[in-house]
Amino acid sequence: MSDWLLFIGILGTAYLGFALLALGQSKHRRTVKAADLKTPFRSAIPRCLGALALATSLALALLRDGPSFGALLWVTVLTAGAIAVAFTLAWRPKWLRPLAVCFV
Amino acid sequence: MGESFRQSMTWLHSWAGVVIGALLFAIFWMGTLSVFDREIDRWMIPDTRLSTVAAPPSLDAVAAVAVGLVRPEHRAWLATLPTDREPVVKLFFQDSEDHFESRFLDPATMALLPEAGSWAASDFIFPFHYNLNLEWMHIGYWLVGILGMAMLVMLTSGVIIHHRIFTDFFTFRPGGKLPRSSLDLHNLTAVVGLPFHFVITLSGLIIFFSIHFPGVVPIVYQDKQADFVKEAYGVVQRDAAGVPGDLASLDAMRMRASELWSGGQPYFVRIWHPGDANSYVEMRRSFPDTVTMNLDAVYFDGPTGAILHTHTAKPVMTVQRFLSGLHFIQFEHWTLRWLYFVLGLSGCVMIAAGFIYWLESRRKRHAAQGLAGVRIVEGLAVGAVTGIVTATLAFFVANRLLPTGATVLGYERYALEIWIFYLVWLASFVHAWIRPGHAWREQGWTIAGLAALAVILNGVTTGDHLVRTLTEASWAVAGMDLALLAGASVAAFAAWRLRPRAAVSLSFKQPAE
Repeated sequence: MSDWLLFIGILGTAYLGFALLALGQSKHRRTVKAADLKTPFRSAIPRCLGALALATSLALALLRDGPSFGALLWVTVLTAGAIAVAFTLAWRPKWLRPLAVCFV
Repeated sequence: MGESFRQSMTWLHSWAGVVIGALLFAIFWMGTLSVFDREIDRWMIPDTRLSTVAAPPSLDAVAAVAVGLVRPEHRAWLATLPTDREPVVKLFFQDSEDHFESRFLDPATMALLPEAGSWAASDFIFPFHYNLNLEWMHIGYWLVGILGMAMLVMLTSGVIIHHRIFTDFFTFRPGGKLPRSSLDLHNLTAVVGLPFHFVITLSGLIIFFSIHFPGVVPIVYQDKQADFVKEAYGVVQRDAAGVPGDLASLDAMRMRASELWSGGQPYFVRIWHPGDANSYVEMRRSFPDTVTMNLDAVYFDGPTGAILHTHTAKPVMTVQRFLSGLHFIQFEHWTLRWLYFVLGLSGCVMIAAGFIYWLESRRKRHAAQGLAGVRIVEGLAVGAVTGIVTATLAFFVANRLLPTGATVLGYERYALEIWIFYLVWLASFVHAWIRPGHAWREQGWTIAGLAALAVILNGVTTGDHLVRTLTEASWAVAGMDLALLAGASVAAFAAWRLRPRAAVSLSFKQPAE
């Protein structure tokens, strides 16, 4: 059971991390109809948090499966997470709006 | 350099892609299916849909059955032991030219199962992805090796010609014009899947280093090439005596091996020169919970059971075995197995989207200039993409329709399945060239129909319909049926979206971004 919870955590943080990276870019902020971030400092905030989420994903993967399987799991989950974010932006951009408006 | 270098890389990428894309797709598709090869085997060989046994079977009991099947031309027999994914003992009989015949044993009863009558995934789909089933002169290995190296060139040149990797990292505009959206999809699957595509291609090449670099071993080992297989893989050879001899207890040897491996178990055992006074036994250690496929082996003298040789991989081979392990995924890790499957499919999408971009970015110009290029390449792309999927499904459907022991023109049942695969694949190219503009949609409907038919036929011919397999938790068969239904839905949706009216509005009416 904790295996499953950890996997959902790994996948969730990977998705969240990439979503935050995307929402630091003005083109994707326009896609989700959120206002542009005014200064480079402010657009760095979601990006840093995104990187932090991806690092958390790695830590959870290593915790779940140890160094070799954990690293492999993380790299493959990253790809899946990035594709999922791109598809969300393409077909369901509204879902990411609440996250986007956290940053102004 | 600068712009002209990028232009030359663009030229390389687009033309190499058109020339080898069809075979690359075939390799990626078959490789992706090989992720679930054992599950496809269960589906295609219903006699092997057994429940898993708790304890490993007695090797002496296995040997009692195997010796009855050994013929004089067999220089060895080997048995792979049951696993959760393959709940049978698989017996192989190896002749002097290293051809293998195989039979299945039920590990609970030691009963010999009927002949498989199908090469299924382990013997058709899996080898197809590394040698295209062209065994002659290793030509298939060479072709796949060249394609693998070309794939690395494609990945590298693709990164070079991509204008905005980070700016466009998440960019996918499915509502745009087809050249735009197909390029987006190609870039998206290629860039975010780059680590997977690169490592899977490179590790695939490294597995076959001794075939692709055949000159190296003779240079280093001169006339002692047996030393190479001994040092690298721990393969020991001993000639037969020509005098009959007995075989000591294999179960006792397994216990010795397990002690040496601090509790590790063999996954296969091979008896060389069975029945000879110089017979010897090879046991290789399983690796269910590591990425690295260890090469731990113990050799025993057959008649006495004394240890002849033990082997553990040296550092360089351990690296090779780690990279091989990354590729082979023989470990028990369902989450990773599914992720590999999804990423393999993303590689297929990448190649298919690359084809579509090539076609759609040239269609108008070729039509204006009266060039035939688009039409020719479109036929190639349709046959390569939807064609091989159709052929694979025809392979599954034929497997469920052909009666046991069927022969046509001297071809056995397993060969008929393979003939049907190739004939349907060939027909899909012909169809694509004579029905331009309709082939994608029509093959999409064919895929949907065949996949649904395969599920129905499985239920009718074996009684293992989804209600039963899901309630009885036989996940291999249930998973295969569900994957077929999912594939059927995707294909039907795509074909419906490609209905003539939609195609017009997609290409001309939507505003460009």
